[in-house]
Amino acid sequence: MSLVNLAHVCSHLQNASKARLGLTSIPVSKLHVNLMLGLQREGFLSSVTLGGTTPPKPFLLQPTTSPEELETMADTLADEPWHAYPTLPESQDGRKAPPSPLGEERVFDVHVPLNPARRRLWLGLKYWNNEPVLRKMKLISKPTRRIWLTSEELGKITRTRQAGFVKGLTTPGECMFVTTDRGILEARECVERRLGGMALCRIA
Amino acid sequence: MSVCRPARCLFSRAAPTTLPKPSPSPLPFSSSAARHHHNRPRSFHTSTPRPARHRRPHYPSIKADDLKLLNQAAQATAPVYKKSELSLLQQQYTPDQLAAIEAAEAVIDRKDLYIQGSLRTDPWRLPYEDDLAEVDPVTDIPDKLSPESIKGKKTFREANALERDEAIARIANENMAKLYPDGVPEGQLSEKDQQRLEEHMEAALMQASMDPRAVYTGPNQKALDTLADPRHSRIYADLPRIENRMMRQTRRLASDEEEDPRQKRLLKYLDWDKDKLKQIRTKTLVVHGVTNQTRMGKIQSMYFLTIAGNGNGLLGVGEGKSVEPEEGKKQSVMAAIRNLRPVPRYENRTIFGDLEKKVGATKVQLFSRPPGFGLRVQHLIFEMARAAGLHDLAARTPRSRNKMNVIKATWEALCNQKLPDEIARARGKKLVDVRKVYYGGSVH
Repeated sequence: MSLVNLAHVCSHLQNASKARLGLTSIPVSKLHVNLMLGLQREGFLSSVTLGGTTPPKPFLLQPTTSPEELETMADTLADEPWHAYPTLPESQDGRKAPPSPLGEERVFDVHVPLNPARRRLWLGLKYWNNEPVLRKMKLISKPTRRIWLTSEELGKITRTRQAGFVKGLTTPGECMFVTTDRGILEARECVERRLGGMALCRIA
Repeated sequence: MSVCRPARCLFSRAAPTTLPKPSPSPLPFSSSAARHHHNRPRSFHTSTPRPARHRRPHYPSIKADDLKLLNQAAQATAPVYKKSELSLLQQQYTPDQLAAIEAAEAVIDRKDLYIQGSLRTDPWRLPYEDDLAEVDPVTDIPDKLSPESIKGKKTFREANALERDEAIARIANENMAKLYPDGVPEGQLSEKDQQRLEEHMEAALMQASMDPRAVYTGPNQKALDTLADPRHSRIYADLPRIENRMMRQTRRLASDEEEDPRQKRLLKYLDWDKDKLKQIRTKTLVVHGVTNQTRMGKIQSMYFLTIAGNGNGLLGVGEGKSVEPEEGKKQSVMAAIRNLRPVPRYENRTIFGDLEKKVGATKVQLFSRPPGFGLRVQHLIFEMARAAGLHDLAARTPRSRNKMNVIKATWEALCNQKLPDEIARARGKKLVDVRKVYYGGSVH
């Protein structure tokens, strides 16, 4: 768990937001992935995608089912609703399953390189009223000084009071992420579940 | 329950309670006493159970007698029109109006009027209390009548001396009849009454001689009468002048009030009236001299920085500079009022969360505080918070304390706050004001 890399990610996201980028990438690690999923859950990021060195194809450029196909699919489902259940990919005799009457299933596949060193985590940044949604992202624990907080201390912090050497969440909409034995959680969620853990970063 | 007690006595009563209620048509051989015994709940205790408290109804029950009293009171406060009253109304109103009045009275429940009817106190109430029973000379101006309403010929000619004297005598008599409705007093009068009578006669004669009916005459009497009718007058009667000391002191002539062209322009820009402008409080916080070095030499002038606010969520900052101190100050005041911007306030007393703003080398940190905390801030920020209507605030200026920059940074920070609902929209999350939820929405 390298907090040095997390510090780099924090400043990179701040810079990318200031530059009004729509999509940016960070190195992949379990900590980063879980933290970014937490950020997405809190509404700071629009998308989190694992990909290679080139950005993943946007959703709009990927092949989609046409409205006509959707209509025929709806019609067949209305007549024969049992097709909604998944069919076995191959029957037991080894023969290939007949094509589904609903049409071909579309799967959005993103190319992920086999070499883990070439993998990147692609993040969609959000903007509202010409202002970035994620403006400040700062480490609390430092690589040289980790800070662990109990659920009581986290409760104080979420109620805008200082606990230990950690300032309260006073600016409106400020969030704090904590890594616990149940994964990376938002501070308020930790308070709700009565969990303590190591404070990672604060985001406003 | 003591163990010594036989189990029989427990089960003797247990069976009926577990069964559903006895059927409405009881068996012929079950006695009423037995049924009563069956309905009683089984007791597990030797002591007698406390009777359950009676259930209270959701609404207080009003007795029929009280309701009757209420109806009587309602009848007394808003009685039904009697026949004689209706005939009086018929003289005053057209049948259409009367029907409308009756329909309106039928719609309103008298009881409701008695219970709920009260004088309005809201700010949108009408500015007067009037049952329209009296004619107000100011607001109730008689209807204007057009010449079409006069029937017959409308030609006039100048009256000759004979006709004029006749008309004056007639009009003077009319006037005297108005002054003395019970008839002119006759016989021996006291000196005072005699004098008053003479005065009245003189006034009536004077009025009659001024009347246009005395000057002109014509074949159509109705057309002649319209000459003295104020409804046919091109100009209405003058509004009565209210004369008292208060009015005299507060009255201002147009020449007294000097029209400032700059203020006029400002009012036009803001689309305000003068009364609204009077509610704005301004305060000049920074004054110092500045020098411009030119070829000719140094030119001294004065710099002013003024804040303006209405004490209710508006705050502006304006600068002015001029060689004339008065001129510079006026400039800054006008600029401050022109720059008024809304300051979002949490519960109309403090800010939404903590703020930080940096202008130049000055950094201002503002902190929201609980109710009753007060304004524990430095003097410049104190003045600004008071002008904006903030009551609970703390602040720090950890770096440079340049007065101008402190004011500008505070203003920027207060006006550009991030509001919780905006954050919620940006993130697509739901944010809830916990304080408001806890106090059930009755926070301020």
